Amino acid sequence: MDMANFPWLTAIILFPIAASLLIPIIPDKDGKTVRWYALIVGLLDFALIIYAFYTGYDLSSGELQLVEQYTWIPDIDLKWSVGVDGLSMPLVILTGFITTLAIMAAWPVTLKPKLFYFLMLAMYGGQIAVFAVQDMLLFFLVWELELVPVYLILSIWGGKKRLYAATKFILYTAGGSLFILVAALTMAFYGDTATFDMSAIAAKDFPLKLQLLLYGGFLIAYGVKLPIFPLHTWLPDAHGEATAPAHMLLAGILLKMGGYALIRMNVGMLPEAHVKFAPVLIILGVVNIIYAALTSFAQRNLKRKIAYSSISHMGFVLIGIASFTSLGMSGAVLQMISHGLIGASLFFMVGATYDRTHTLMLDEMGGVGQKMKKIFAMWTTCSLASLALPGMSGFVAELMVFVGIATSDAYNTTFKVLVVLLAAVGVILTPIYLLSMLREIFYGTENKELVEHEALIDAEPREVFIIASLLIPIIGIGLYPKLATQIYDTTTTQLTAYVREFVPTVAKESAPQGEPVALKAPEL
Amino acid sequence: MELFLYKYAWLIPVLPLVAATLVGLGLISLNKLTNQLRKLNAVLIITFLGVAMGFSFALLWSQIHGHEAFTQSFEWAAAGSFHLSMGFIIDPLTSLMLAIVTTIAFLVMIYTDGYMEHDPGYVRFYAYLSLFSASMLGLVISPNLVQVYIFWELVGMCSYLLIGFWYDRPLAADACQKAFVVNRVGDFGLLLGMLGLYWATGSFEFDIMGDRLQEMVSSGALAGGLAALFAILVFLGPVAKSAQFPLHVWLPDAMEGPTPISALIHAATMVAAGVFLIARMYPVFEPIPSAMSVIAWTGAFTAFLGASIAITQNDIKKGLAYSTISQLGYMVMAMGTGAYAAGLFHLMTHAYFKAMLFLCSGSVIHGMEGVVGHDPDLAQDMRLMGGLRKYMPITAITFLVGTLAICGIPPFAGFWSKDEILGLAFEVNPALWVVGWATAGITAFYMFRMYFMTFEGQFRGTDESIIAQLKNAVSPQNEENLEPAFGPGAMDPEELEHDDHGHHHSSEPHESPLTMTLPLVLLAIPSFMIGWIGKPWENMFEEFIHAPTEAAEVVAEAGEFDWTEFLIMAGASVGIALIGITVASLMYRQGKINPSKIAQQFRPLYNFSLNKWYFDELYHKVFVMNSRRLAREMLEIDYKVVDGAVNLTGLVTVITGQGLKYLESGRVQFYALIVFAAVLGFVVVSSVT
Repeated sequence: MDMANFPWLTAIILFPIAASLLIPIIPDKDGKTVRWYALIVGLLDFALIIYAFYTGYDLSSGELQLVEQYTWIPDIDLKWSVGVDGLSMPLVILTGFITTLAIMAAWPVTLKPKLFYFLMLAMYGGQIAVFAVQDMLLFFLVWELELVPVYLILSIWGGKKRLYAATKFILYTAGGSLFILVAALTMAFYGDTATFDMSAIAAKDFPLKLQLLLYGGFLIAYGVKLPIFPLHTWLPDAHGEATAPAHMLLAGILLKMGGYALIRMNVGMLPEAHVKFAPVLIILGVVNIIYAALTSFAQRNLKRKIAYSSISHMGFVLIGIASFTSLGMSGAVLQMISHGLIGASLFFMVGATYDRTHTLMLDEMGGVGQKMKKIFAMWTTCSLASLALPGMSGFVAELMVFVGIATSDAYNTTFKVLVVLLAAVGVILTPIYLLSMLREIFYGTENKELVEHEALIDAEPREVFIIASLLIPIIGIGLYPKLATQIYDTTTTQLTAYVREFVPTVAKESAPQGEPVALKAPEL
Repeated sequence: MELFLYKYAWLIPVLPLVAATLVGLGLISLNKLTNQLRKLNAVLIITFLGVAMGFSFALLWSQIHGHEAFTQSFEWAAAGSFHLSMGFIIDPLTSLMLAIVTTIAFLVMIYTDGYMEHDPGYVRFYAYLSLFSASMLGLVISPNLVQVYIFWELVGMCSYLLIGFWYDRPLAADACQKAFVVNRVGDFGLLLGMLGLYWATGSFEFDIMGDRLQEMVSSGALAGGLAALFAILVFLGPVAKSAQFPLHVWLPDAMEGPTPISALIHAATMVAAGVFLIARMYPVFEPIPSAMSVIAWTGAFTAFLGASIAITQNDIKKGLAYSTISQLGYMVMAMGTGAYAAGLFHLMTHAYFKAMLFLCSGSVIHGMEGVVGHDPDLAQDMRLMGGLRKYMPITAITFLVGTLAICGIPPFAGFWSKDEILGLAFEVNPALWVVGWATAGITAFYMFRMYFMTFEGQFRGTDESIIAQLKNAVSPQNEENLEPAFGPGAMDPEELEHDDHGHHHSSEPHESPLTMTLPLVLLAIPSFMIGWIGKPWENMFEEFIHAPTEAAEVVAEAGEFDWTEFLIMAGASVGIALIGITVASLMYRQGKINPSKIAQQFRPLYNFSLNKWYFDELYHKVFVMNSRRLAREMLEIDYKVVDGAVNLTGLVTVITGQGLKYLESGRVQFYALIVFAAVLGFVVVSSVT
């Protein structure tokens, strides 16, 4: 077989979906076979992803690679068109990684295991498809399709108010999707040629007013997903009711779809509108950071607290996207990857804690660190990662966004000072809510009522393994960021250079202040 | 050979990191086994640090003999045209700091074996210690500001973990969080200053930042005020880390951690990192006079503040903590007055004698616990001590050496460094000298008060009336936690139970084991003698360490030493120290003056000092309460307004007039939110155009 022409991406997307179809016929009474089956499928697909990118992806090129295109329904010009560039490639890897770990995190699920793992595997393929498809119509379809398993997972395996949460989730996201559909159709049929191909659409020249409208539509749709204030309120509800594996997927991957689409479409296809909208994005980013950090601080429910913390961290993505510097853009992508890992690890820890304490209310915990030393240690490490401790990925991403916006030449100094100052307030607020949370759960004297009624067993090896798997890339990127940045850098640099052409205030000739030459390292 | 040393200098922080990682992995994966092999783990960690110490001394030796500075770096992060490198630099300042940090860490680790002998967290404690050493060593070899910031936060994290080491104690839990958050406030400034400097100069390297900033200010490309603002923002980092006013409040609370880390982190190394950063940032700070005077006055005020609180503290560790704040104030003041070498000289002498004083206090607490039990409220209270010299002679003598050193009595180490600072401060601004000089008197008073209360007179540890009085003073919220915490030098729980049910505690404290007294004795040597390398008439220290800008001048200046001036200055500071000692002796040794009567007479002043100038209360009211309230109101807005509005239920409430309650009930925060939105909207409009 010719390896170069093998449809890698199609295989990666379809393999878990095809495998999920076999689940109903697997003989399994107690749900123990099917979880192994799902795990093996997950691992195989992840291996496939790694192998495909290792052999077929050229890091030095920022263009779409591993491209495949087949006509699907010629009447409506629907094409199965997939491909990855530096923007989607790391997110595809992240999806494979997190979903596999989520399957492992779902080990204790006993309710309807067949349906559960069926949905997990269906999501596996669906999520990757969102990042890989290069056709607008197809994008809309997979975006919608991927909602169904999430809705079901939320509504069947959630907490008491799960139906409310699931309905809210589907209403918000589906409502947002309407805007995608309208905008996509408009873009496809505008001008002389009707096409759904993303790169062809990106090449179209829309008038500014139309661009602004389209941009606004996309912003609402992706703002729900990311989420952006004030469209975020579905997230605490969804998280408040979901189970640990669903959490990991929500925080680890689904939120990233918003950021990904924002960069791919709003920035890449509507650059002129992006220039106009960028300050709004930055302000929304700042609001996200501060507002969500404060609400997280006040929140007494552990899951909701971490959910708000996710919202807060996504603010940096917005600021990075709108910074018009390759550093900021790179930081935004890194923040998505980093939060995918850290968010997943925190939500996994929430689940692990709930399995033991059977409560999420901080007031009903206290002093549990004495019995659960490993859980305590893992919680502390994940929280430190989340509060952007240097040596872990969150710090690098936030630092890049900070330096990116501070050195941006697209904004005047007053605006930048204000933005940097307010975003940096988040640097103070994050440890306040995370450390006080740790203190309330683990520190101090034991909560007698809890200790008497619950068996607080320390972490089992499976849990240590999951957290270790997440921490290795978190710390790896933190110690040597180029591990992550070099796999997407070419694309983000190209994209930034392209968008910068539309910024009027950027004088093309003037070099950035201060020669960066001095920072160059002598070769070892 | 020498090149080999320099090429592999990165091993110095990496070695303890490797040791910490090994032990940490052992704790996570083979917990029982690792905890059983206590000594083996300790030996492994001490050995790795010992090698790093040998390495550091070799480098120091080479630097003293004039080897040129060595830098090596690799590209760490890149995006577009942005490149950021990390690496290490070995110059006189770094090699000096390496030697200080490794020696103290090494001795503290040996001490720990005795102090934590019975603690169930023995191995974990060693792992943290090693991790801290790695971070601290990484900090001092950093060649640029970003790398400093990285390790800066990491030492902060280690400090957090170690303060909260006994996490079952509510006070420790509060203290570690407070330390981290207060330090983050400082780091917030440091981050902003760093970004500002990068924006202005395009570099994170200390020299380049300084040069370019100066060029830009002199050419008018950058307003001088802005440059000063950036410098002061960066200085906020040291303000928090080195516990300077107004961010000093975390350090005394940090004493909830085990005593060895109070000595290592919160006296000798980490808190001095602030002074180190000022030294590194000298190319930026020095040409900005306004920034320098802010630094100098912050230091001077802090020196006085710390001393004024230390005089009324009864907890031996708290007293030493305020003394540390005060001494750090001296160093910062020295830096601000341009006395670069003097500040670092004091950093070095202070590191040794203060580490020793803390370790002595640990030894005292260890001894006291045998008498009063494992209650930090009793074992650390000096009102229960007294006469300990008889029972713990080595501890007493070494504590006395440290006390004499910190009081600035010649020929002890502290004299030389403090005197140099005061002398140079006088040249810059006599007002600064007055503050420093008066503080020196207070220092002598409170240090000897501490010494007399602890080691002289009669032993009061068995006096039930004092114990009862102290127990009553414990606030009711702690009452329920009176079950013994497994505190400093804690024993096995079983051992303790046995202790309680069986015979009473012993009636006399005992001297500590050799692993604890040996480090004391070893630290007493530099506390006594190390000052001699900085004799003003033959200042070897200054020849080695000098500000980056004044390379040549120093050597020329060394020749012209003015004996009269030296004698006047030294006489003045020794004089006031002697007065302080005499007063302390009259009050706490001979009992000729009754301290409680004086306290009665100056009740408001006494309370002011005893309550630490009410900083904690003030901050609690202003910052803690308000931020909590703001957060709660935000959450309420989120539920009722934002969520409600999108759910359309908000619309209904607005229509029925329910929503108006929100606007009319005087919710200031809600109005603030609207104003905030309006301002942001305005900014958008103004920035787009």
